[in-house]
Amino acid sequence: MTSRNAVVYVLLAVGALITLLPFGLGLLTSFTSAQQFNTGSPLSLPDPPTLANYLGLADAGFGRAIAVTAVMTAVILVSQLTFSVAAAYAFARLDFPGRDGLFWVYLATLMVPATVTVVPLYLMMAQLGLRNTFWALVLPFMFGSPYAIFLLREYFRSIPADLIRAARMDGASTADVIVHVVLPASRSILVTLALITVVSQWNSFMWPLVITSGSSWRVLTVATAGLQSQFDAQWTLVMAATTVAMVPLIVVFALLGRNIVRSIVVTGIK
Amino acid sequence: MQHRRFRDTATGYALLAPSLFGVALFLLLPMLVVGWLSLQNWDLLGPIRFAGLDNWRSVLTDADFGRSLLATAGFVALVVPLQTALGLVAAALLARGLPGTGFFRTLYVLPWICSPLAIAVLWRWILAPTDGAISTAVGHRIEWLTDPALALPVVSAVTVWTNVGYVTLFFLAGLLGIPADVQNAARLDGAGGWQRFRHITLPMLRPTLFFVLVTGIVSAAQVFDTVYALTGGGPQGRTDLIAHRIYTEAFGTAAVGRAAVMTLILFALLLGVTVIQHLYFRKRVSYDLT
Repeated sequence: MTSRNAVVYVLLAVGALITLLPFGLGLLTSFTSAQQFNTGSPLSLPDPPTLANYLGLADAGFGRAIAVTAVMTAVILVSQLTFSVAAAYAFARLDFPGRDGLFWVYLATLMVPATVTVVPLYLMMAQLGLRNTFWALVLPFMFGSPYAIFLLREYFRSIPADLIRAARMDGASTADVIVHVVLPASRSILVTLALITVVSQWNSFMWPLVITSGSSWRVLTVATAGLQSQFDAQWTLVMAATTVAMVPLIVVFALLGRNIVRSIVVTGIK
Repeated sequence: MQHRRFRDTATGYALLAPSLFGVALFLLLPMLVVGWLSLQNWDLLGPIRFAGLDNWRSVLTDADFGRSLLATAGFVALVVPLQTALGLVAAALLARGLPGTGFFRTLYVLPWICSPLAIAVLWRWILAPTDGAISTAVGHRIEWLTDPALALPVVSAVTVWTNVGYVTLFFLAGLLGIPADVQNAARLDGAGGWQRFRHITLPMLRPTLFFVLVTGIVSAAQVFDTVYALTGGGPQGRTDLIAHRIYTEAFGTAAVGRAAVMTLILFALLLGVTVIQHLYFRKRVSYDLT
């Protein structure tokens, strides 16, 4: 039995090595000077380690790209969660004509793949004169996500009706009920949705790529892709860029890994 | 009572208003717009002109588009079975519950939460023919991304590397959901390891397996970032997957009408997959053994 366990550990460790090695190599290269990389072996350890590549990113406008990405992610996170909570509460806890029909429409939109909306959304943004603006980055995702609404509705329905009735008797308004009763009872699903939203928005690429141009509203993924095609051979600089693009989420992941793992299983989507 | 109903209706629509606006404008309207756009000619900047069925005719007879569909099918056929099999193996190893398992489980998901674009750029260096990590380690040039025979399998491998941890999570949840009693009873009846896997584990994992396959197909059929950064669709269009073709058509050659046609074809194909999923889940056999 123990030798069997040893085999399991060896296989798990091989998996871990295959997972980590590319990240480790990229990280090391990002601290290697371009000169050492070009003259020595690309795989040798940085000697001495240098921050020159990261300083080079600052010159390439990555500071602004990080800021744009962070603000975009924050705006979408806050507004999408707020509006999703509002809609989910209406679907879960209120009774009004048209409710079930509308919910069915929301559910149907889950079948629309993200890739399918890119071309028509581009035309719509162009017609509204919003190409290459901050609004174009955030507008399509701000007003709530049908998937978040669906999950929140399930969760809100499981909150005991007595809890809400008691608050009502004390004269609480709908807003009070949501803020003081429903949200505290739904903390775990809210953390889950927040994580999923941050991951998918921070990483989003295709939409920012098509709807922005130039450096004013360039997000981190677009800046990284641009850097790679501009400086194809300067791998030390490019590896610094991929590190910057990935590190914030890796830190979040290290802090909240367990939550993220649960979130993925609960939501099943990115 | 009447009063309360009126109040609920007013509150309900007030709460729904923002998301209703978003769903109507950014999910439903685009579906109408893309249908309309498929009948127009537009070059991103100039005026939009009615084109009738020209775009449909030209896309349906376009050899490049056919090649792109084939490449996408090949990609899905490589990625989905591989990531499913590896995910199942990893989950079976993790499900033994040895100490430290949680660490490995979390670690394996790492590539999946990172930006696919950044990951593709990272792999582009690792696979680079002269100064890349693999070529340096091996000591000679390998044209991973420019050899027409290698490019699609390599892009598939990078995608599998990214997704395995994610697939593993679902299989692990499924495996841990199988009651130990059932396995023990089979063991007492003399069933061996393979027999238990074949006749108990696999049937009880069927809903998970189906979920993993369907979501795997739907997401693999839309892969864009990885192709964009690794190969740009080359060599000779071997990795020109459909999402990348749509992008190139709309924003490279500025044939937006043709891109709209391709978008609708992709949508129809994915809708087919999703509908099959829903039919399945409605009829799915329940393995509630209580």
